[in-house]
Amino acid sequence: MHLLHFPLVVIRVAFPSILSASLLLKHYHGGHVVIRLALGGCTNRPFYRIVAAYNKRARDSKHIEQLGSFDPLPNLYNEKLVSLNFQRIKYWIACGAHPTKPVAKLLEACRVLPLHPMTVTKAERFRKTAAQKEALGAPEEGSEEASESKPETA
Amino acid sequence: MAAFRVTRCLIRDSARLRNVEQKSAVVFRCARRTLSSESANNSPTDGRSPQFSDEEVQNILTKITGLDLQKAFRPVKQELKPPTYRLMTDAQLAEATQKAIQVAKERLKMPPVLSERKLIDDVLAEDKFLEGLETVKYVFTDITYNIPHRERFIVIREPDGTLRKATWEERDRMVQLYFPREGRRLTPPPVFKEENLKVVFLQDRHEDILDLCLVQFEPDSPDYRRVHNLTYEDIDKHGKYDLPCSTRHFGGMVWYLVNGKKIDGLLIDMIQRDLIQDAASVIHLYHMLHPQGSAAKEAGEQQAQGIDLVKIFARTESQKAGYVELALQAYQETSTERSAQSSSP
Repeated sequence: MHLLHFPLVVIRVAFPSILSASLLLKHYHGGHVVIRLALGGCTNRPFYRIVAAYNKRARDSKHIEQLGSFDPLPNLYNEKLVSLNFQRIKYWIACGAHPTKPVAKLLEACRVLPLHPMTVTKAERFRKTAAQKEALGAPEEGSEEASESKPETA
Repeated sequence: MAAFRVTRCLIRDSARLRNVEQKSAVVFRCARRTLSSESANNSPTDGRSPQFSDEEVQNILTKITGLDLQKAFRPVKQELKPPTYRLMTDAQLAEATQKAIQVAKERLKMPPVLSERKLIDDVLAEDKFLEGLETVKYVFTDITYNIPHRERFIVIREPDGTLRKATWEERDRMVQLYFPREGRRLTPPPVFKEENLKVVFLQDRHEDILDLCLVQFEPDSPDYRRVHNLTYEDIDKHGKYDLPCSTRHFGGMVWYLVNGKKIDGLLIDMIQRDLIQDAASVIHLYHMLHPQGSAAKEAGEQQAQGIDLVKIFARTESQKAGYVELALQAYQETSTERSAQSSSP
């Protein structure tokens, strides 16, 4: 009879840690993993980390794994330093991660990814404009010389 | 997730700490790998001439180096700590001395002597159409953790489109940047320039500069060899053979002098210190390396040992024959006096 006096309390058991971690993890609908540049550094001094992250995440926030770094400012020896963890990059690309354009450019430059047709096209266009500028520059110089000589003779 | 990252960091840090402690082990691993593919450095074209890492050579050199505990454990500049005192029995003291000898032997392990590394001059691709797009070089370093630094891919894309392998200096710089080693600086300190080295030698700090060199440079880099050769030359010129004695650099110095046939000063110094057995070992090593010399042939004919070896060498191939023979005479006189004194009551 005493037992009836005790209130029946339903004690909620604390979740085991594995379950609580998966509850806290964000799930993305239709999201995918990307390999992109996350910006760091200070004012007027950028520094990028090459990072595997979910597409929906903020650019600089929590990533899955850091795969390297890229320093966009050249150093004393006129070099831009890029570090790449090739093993892990291969793994993430094999898992279906998409590299962004700047990352793809870096990977093309060291021949990990094949050349994009636009790279060749852009290079050709650059060379065409450079050649055109030179051509424009040459007749301009010629005309300048002619105009200089005319006042002298006159 | 966070726990995984923490454990990953812990594993990485502990691996790095282990790497820092096993500096010499790493150096030896590099040495073994390069030695297996390269031939002898100074000796003639004979393929079977003794190398620095041969067991016999190493035994001779360790015996000559000696084991002066007082010098091996002399006070080093470090953080100020109050000294610890311990009460020990005789047996415990003996055990502690044994342990100290083991530690001293570790410290006296000789750094390897390797031949100079060959220049890297490998072009991987020449993409001329990429010329002019960039004004700077791009340096790509592979930071995969589990590969040895010698096998790491470090390539450079030049502004004119060529993709080439990095030179040794660039490699050292990149590896030090991404996998920094304790004590090593990105650019070598100005102490290693010739004029500054002279100042260091005047202050008799040869061991310090050799230790610095060991930390800063790779054993097969030209800078390492240049600094070591200059130091050994200076020691030989001024006869300061007791400076590297009982340190890890003594073996390397003896090897350099024996290869360059400049062992006269060393022999005189050893005889004056009554180290006849060590002098005989040095000459034995000399005969191993230069078996075509007249001294070697005579010694082989007479099967000489100990002081006789020294005498034959002094007669035949020595450049300072007079000094060596004088020193030998002085030693023999003192030894006869000593034996006379000990025999009389």
